Amino acid sequence: MDWSALFLSLRLAGWTVVILLPVSILMGRFLAHNRFRGKGVLEALIILPLVLPPTVLGFYLLVAFGRSSPIGQIWQDIFGQQLVFSFQGLVVASVIFNLPFAIQPAQRGFEGVAPEVREAAACCGLSPLRSLWKVELPLAWPGLMTAMVLTFAHTLGEFGIVLMVGGAIPGETKTIAISIYDSVQGFDDRGAAMMSAVLVAISLFAIAVTYALSARVGRRLS
Amino acid sequence: MALNVMAKAAGPIALDVAFQVAPGELLALVGHSGSGKTTVLRTIAGLWRPDVARVSVDGETWLDTAAGLCVAPHRRRVGIVFQNYALFPHMTAAQNVMAAMDRQNRQEAARILDLVNLHGLEDRKPAQLSGGQQQRVAVARALARRPQALLLDEPFSAVDGATREKLYAEIIALRAHLAMPVVLVTHDMNEAQMLADRMAVMAQGSLVHDGTTAEVMGNPDALHALGIREAGAMLLARVAEHLPDGLSRLETTSGSLFLPMVAAAPGVQVRVRIMAHDVILSRDAPVGLSAQNILAARITRMVAGTGPGVMVHLAVGEGEILARITRRAADQMGLQTGQHVHAILKSMSVARDHVAQTRTGA
Amino acid sequence: MTRSPIGRLIAATCAAFWLQAGVVSAQQAAPVVAAASDLQFAVSEIAAAFQAETGMSVRLSMGSTGNFARQIREGAPFQIFMAADEQFIADLHAEGFTRDAGDLYALGRVVIMVPNGSALTPDGQLDHLAEMLAAGDINRFAIANPDHAPYGMRAREALVHRGIWDDLQPVLVQGENVSQAAQFALSGNADGGILAYSLALAPQIGPRGTYALIPDDWHAPLRQRMVLLNDAGPVAQAFYDYMMQPAAREIMERYGFTLPEGE
Repeated sequence: MDWSALFLSLRLAGWTVVILLPVSILMGRFLAHNRFRGKGVLEALIILPLVLPPTVLGFYLLVAFGRSSPIGQIWQDIFGQQLVFSFQGLVVASVIFNLPFAIQPAQRGFEGVAPEVREAAACCGLSPLRSLWKVELPLAWPGLMTAMVLTFAHTLGEFGIVLMVGGAIPGETKTIAISIYDSVQGFDDRGAAMMSAVLVAISLFAIAVTYALSARVGRRLS
Repeated sequence: MALNVMAKAAGPIALDVAFQVAPGELLALVGHSGSGKTTVLRTIAGLWRPDVARVSVDGETWLDTAAGLCVAPHRRRVGIVFQNYALFPHMTAAQNVMAAMDRQNRQEAARILDLVNLHGLEDRKPAQLSGGQQQRVAVARALARRPQALLLDEPFSAVDGATREKLYAEIIALRAHLAMPVVLVTHDMNEAQMLADRMAVMAQGSLVHDGTTAEVMGNPDALHALGIREAGAMLLARVAEHLPDGLSRLETTSGSLFLPMVAAAPGVQVRVRIMAHDVILSRDAPVGLSAQNILAARITRMVAGTGPGVMVHLAVGEGEILARITRRAADQMGLQTGQHVHAILKSMSVARDHVAQTRTGA
Repeated sequence: MTRSPIGRLIAATCAAFWLQAGVVSAQQAAPVVAAASDLQFAVSEIAAAFQAETGMSVRLSMGSTGNFARQIREGAPFQIFMAADEQFIADLHAEGFTRDAGDLYALGRVVIMVPNGSALTPDGQLDHLAEMLAAGDINRFAIANPDHAPYGMRAREALVHRGIWDDLQPVLVQGENVSQAAQFALSGNADGGILAYSLALAPQIGPRGTYALIPDDWHAPLRQRMVLLNDAGPVAQAFYDYMMQPAAREIMERYGFTLPEGE
């Protein structure tokens, strides 16, 4: 049982959710309430990581953040180490490939708030920010929850991109999914089975929590 | 201080209106669906911006396209009741009301809910309230804003007839507490005539006529836009007694009126809506008729319509009613302005929701 | 929301793994050794002995030699590279990624290995393999990827030498590295494969099948070289030196490696 890899995966998923939560709220709301030229293109770009093979994404991320790229070199200068093959690099990659999971359900959640309700909020004297906090977020919460749980679970399971961009360095970029893969290769079936079971349990727990929270929100509305 | 509205737009929603509403006055914006009434309301609230517009209230300008000024809706002190109420589904009635307050005050919310007769229901969510109750919460929420202008967008269209009658009475009673200009959008002429002081008639985005309800009723163009069968007049009367045979006797300044039992106690003053097409005229005092209501009247004006009809304006005591008769009859009878005639009205022709207490009720 | 029990539980979980972050960071001082997959079990044992003896620890990353060489060029933070073939080391040295030319630490061998119950019997001359292949009785046969894994390259050379490389193509499966090839070969899904001798001798793998050594003149030698990379620190240096000590060499011998004498 590779505890280091498990906690690494949990940290990676955790940081991804923390960074993507404000993104999902702001982008989800923006896309729900605005129509503009090029909106279709923007939405397609957001969904892109969903349909691209992980290796394609991994390749492009390496090109964009690798040693020879401008971003990679700036990072090296500032932090003295590479962005790729580091935990921070994994977080960057994870944030990018989870964009569709974080934004889409949130957008649906905000779309579900009736325009009249938002207008009523404005006419009650609520500024856009206060309206978001007091009216829209409580109503769009199930969509946001779904977005965060999907992001968390998806990150826990991501393999191909993490391998290409991270390099499977123990304690740094060796996630539990990679650890399971290594265990299988190393004929450690018992270890692989244990870690797989733990992952399944965590995923089920995350889903159960979402449903419970969603049901609460549902009760608050009725 | 008054609400001043001017709005012009080319399309796709054409608009051309200009009107004023005095403080404490209720203006009904009437017209058929698609006439642009709701658009005007949304312009006042800041939810819509026409090409050319100017909205000011209490001396404060909310919108002036010429000056490039447009105050955001949440910065306007406007109270609006939407057609479907648009209550916040996740908040209780009290929380909905408090949402509109500058400083949340539970006692104040309870007081306003009391004012709209929702005492005891403060902690219910909208889903647990009936249509009429939700409407009252919406009104309470609009009032909690301490608005400089109150806007009502067809607020009674989603409730049934019986509830609507009750709500009319409540709105009339509420107006005693309202000092701001009120704009009511409705396509129901009865509602407009019962609740409003003045009417603005809209058709295809344009303002056709604007004046007191009596003036509007006397205007052929306005009537054409509204539909000629909507012509009617409001007559003041005081409830004298309730009779054992199910009728009520009311006293006007020109005689008695017998109507089906009125829901007001003796001594209370009411307004009765008398439809023009229900009034028969006679030169001589009629005998042997079933109609119980015969009022002495004097012709003040006669306006011929485009069709076979003519609208006769009659002074009845201190009030005024309208009678719509055929031109043939007018010619046969030799009717002229200034003549004294008798106005005949069937008791049964006055519907129950055509009688309402006056604002002061005294 | 934090007043609810579920909210508290979530908050507690969050706190737990954020705290764990601190613990993990402390571990990150240990240098990372990139080791070719054939060393999987051997170097794990050596690292454990190293820790027992000196109290210092290293982190191990296993994979194919070629893959590691690419990652090192990309800036991967390894401190030691233990390759299965010295050419990769020579190239990296020429490009300036290494401290020096490195040291030869072992000579490797390939074996043909079949899982228990396979119809194929292992013989060093690959005669039975050729026979079954001709009869069309081979379903799957596994080697490491010859493009970037030295053990895969040697497997190909041996098969070419025996003259059955082309015929084997339709049934060949390639592992990412020689460990994965072993996984394919011995999981029961393949008839067998050509793997590293060191893996066949490992206690975790040995009991799963039977093997036979392939003559070492059928392929280029597996001259396994290791090198310290530019960022190598004192712990890495200590482990590097330890690899050449008797304790480590004895472990390597147990895994079938021949040790070069004074090169």
